[in-house]
Amino acid sequence: MNIYLLQIANGVGIGMLYFLLAVGLSIVFGLLRFVNFSHGAFFLLGAYLCFQVTDLGLGFWWSLLIAPLVVGLFAWIVERFVLRHVYALPHHFHILFTVGMALVIQEAVISTWGPLGNNVAPPDLLQGVVMWGGFVYPKYRLFVIGLTAVMALLLWWVLEGTRLGSIVRAGSESTEMVSLLGLNINRIFSLVFALGAATAGLAGALAAPIRGADPFMGVEALGIAFVVVVIGGLGSFWGALIGGILVGIVQSVMSTVWSEGAHLMIYVAMAAVMLLRPNGLLGRPGAA
Amino acid sequence: MKQIAHFRYTLLAAAVALLLPLLLPSGTLATEVLVFALAALGCNLLLGYTGLMSFGQGIFFGVGSYTAGVVLLQLKLALLPALALAALGGALVALLVGWFSIRQRGTYFVMLTLAFAQMFYFLAYTMKDVTGGDNGLLDIPRPPLALFGLTLLPTTSSWQYYTVVAILFVLVFWLLQRVVDSVLGKTLLAVRENEARASALGYDVRLLKLAAFVISGAVTGLAGGLHAMMTGVAPLSNIEYHTSEAILVMTVIGGTGNLFASVLGASFYVLVGNWLSTLWPRWLMLLGLLLIAVSLYMQKGLFGLAMKIIDAVRGNKGASAQAATATATKEKHS
Repeated sequence: MNIYLLQIANGVGIGMLYFLLAVGLSIVFGLLRFVNFSHGAFFLLGAYLCFQVTDLGLGFWWSLLIAPLVVGLFAWIVERFVLRHVYALPHHFHILFTVGMALVIQEAVISTWGPLGNNVAPPDLLQGVVMWGGFVYPKYRLFVIGLTAVMALLLWWVLEGTRLGSIVRAGSESTEMVSLLGLNINRIFSLVFALGAATAGLAGALAAPIRGADPFMGVEALGIAFVVVVIGGLGSFWGALIGGILVGIVQSVMSTVWSEGAHLMIYVAMAAVMLLRPNGLLGRPGAA
Repeated sequence: MKQIAHFRYTLLAAAVALLLPLLLPSGTLATEVLVFALAALGCNLLLGYTGLMSFGQGIFFGVGSYTAGVVLLQLKLALLPALALAALGGALVALLVGWFSIRQRGTYFVMLTLAFAQMFYFLAYTMKDVTGGDNGLLDIPRPPLALFGLTLLPTTSSWQYYTVVAILFVLVFWLLQRVVDSVLGKTLLAVRENEARASALGYDVRLLKLAAFVISGAVTGLAGGLHAMMTGVAPLSNIEYHTSEAILVMTVIGGTGNLFASVLGASFYVLVGNWLSTLWPRWLMLLGLLLIAVSLYMQKGLFGLAMKIIDAVRGNKGASAQAATATATKEKHS
């Protein structure tokens, strides 16, 4: 019984990471009606920035600051100078554009850091495990849960409690109305896109000590982010949280029961949810 | 008029199949062009004629590869039955994936097809007994083209095999052109243009989309089967996300809404990719930049560009603006 309890706890840790990975995708969609296929590449970039920062000897903690900032800045520049010309086009050109961008990022990563994966060690402070009676848990994962929980609260507060958040939520309903109120919706678009990318970058940096950094983790991350928002409902903050944790637990528990099929079961879970609730657990019909 | 257009493109496709041996030094490369042209045709039927952007075409391609591999290795089937089963396998899996995916529209649909692509990749990875897992299926034989036990064409050399592939390619192109020119094709265009109206007119939109999926899956499965025989292996990479992406990219670069555009797109992707990859292993970065450029400036793809140039050469500049859309509208109204 203990092994399953441990796997569920492990799953919550991975799931929080998946939440952080997917929530940006969901928020960006909510406001911009735009599915970002380079979201996985932002995650990839975050992981490699973490590797680079620790490799330079700056220390892991700096990477948690640098990775989201650099990825966010990159996304902000792309949004401001190129991406906004794509909004007016039919939606499949949004997808093509971001697929192209993902390819460019992935190949740039391989050119810079080589085609092989790299390992990132967790900081000394977070190495080892904590023990509560018979319950053993890696310190680093505990830290991931704590940090992502703080980030979730922070994001929730930004969305629900600040002026920016209320503009974003209003923009999700009607961007025209927000523009008519005299707000510069373009600046908000850039900001939200950068914020979404930064959360993916942070998720990548946090994931690096767990799974290393390899050039093809972007595609895998994109697939998982899609599953999380399909399960939770596209555009829903709480949906991303529930979807992320659910996917994390399924993956973690299945890796004990049938390790080779752990990834497969994530997608089976998605298909099951879709059969029961086609719009996701918390999605509104017609949101897509 | 319809008949002429219908044969014009089939003849163009046949001309490409005849020209490739004159232009290319390698039979395998020429075969690869036609194999991916078939896959792009299947993708175009969904994207260009039904408005469905599928990131799952690699599933059908991979399933076709594995099916052909298994029946050739285990059952020692002849070439045509093996390919027929590859197409059938692609069609059945497309029915399943389509049945789930078409419940959603727009971006949600696209995300689902990508998620399914990942699902089938991991499925192929776990089903090691059938697919060989990481290693794939090796030493797949390439039987000669035979009918009723009568050998029509050997396939030992790469050019002999190319001949078989070219015949099948022209045949499938002609059949698909018939499909898009048929009532079914027109109705699919109606679905693409305005789904709500098509539905209000009494068309069963879901059934139509599913039909497009099944045809697309069959053609792509056939391409996968041909690819497995071409290389002698059915690797895990044939069912990977990158295969789905490559097929979609070929389709879009060629241009959507005209079948011949896919032949252009696949030729461009395979030939330019083959050339560039010898110069620079990171050539996919250029492809990414090309995708960005296509989505910003060249939305009708190479075919649209070619139409523009043809019109400019002909000198009727007034029509050049509509040139790119000309074929699509012509098909709609004929």
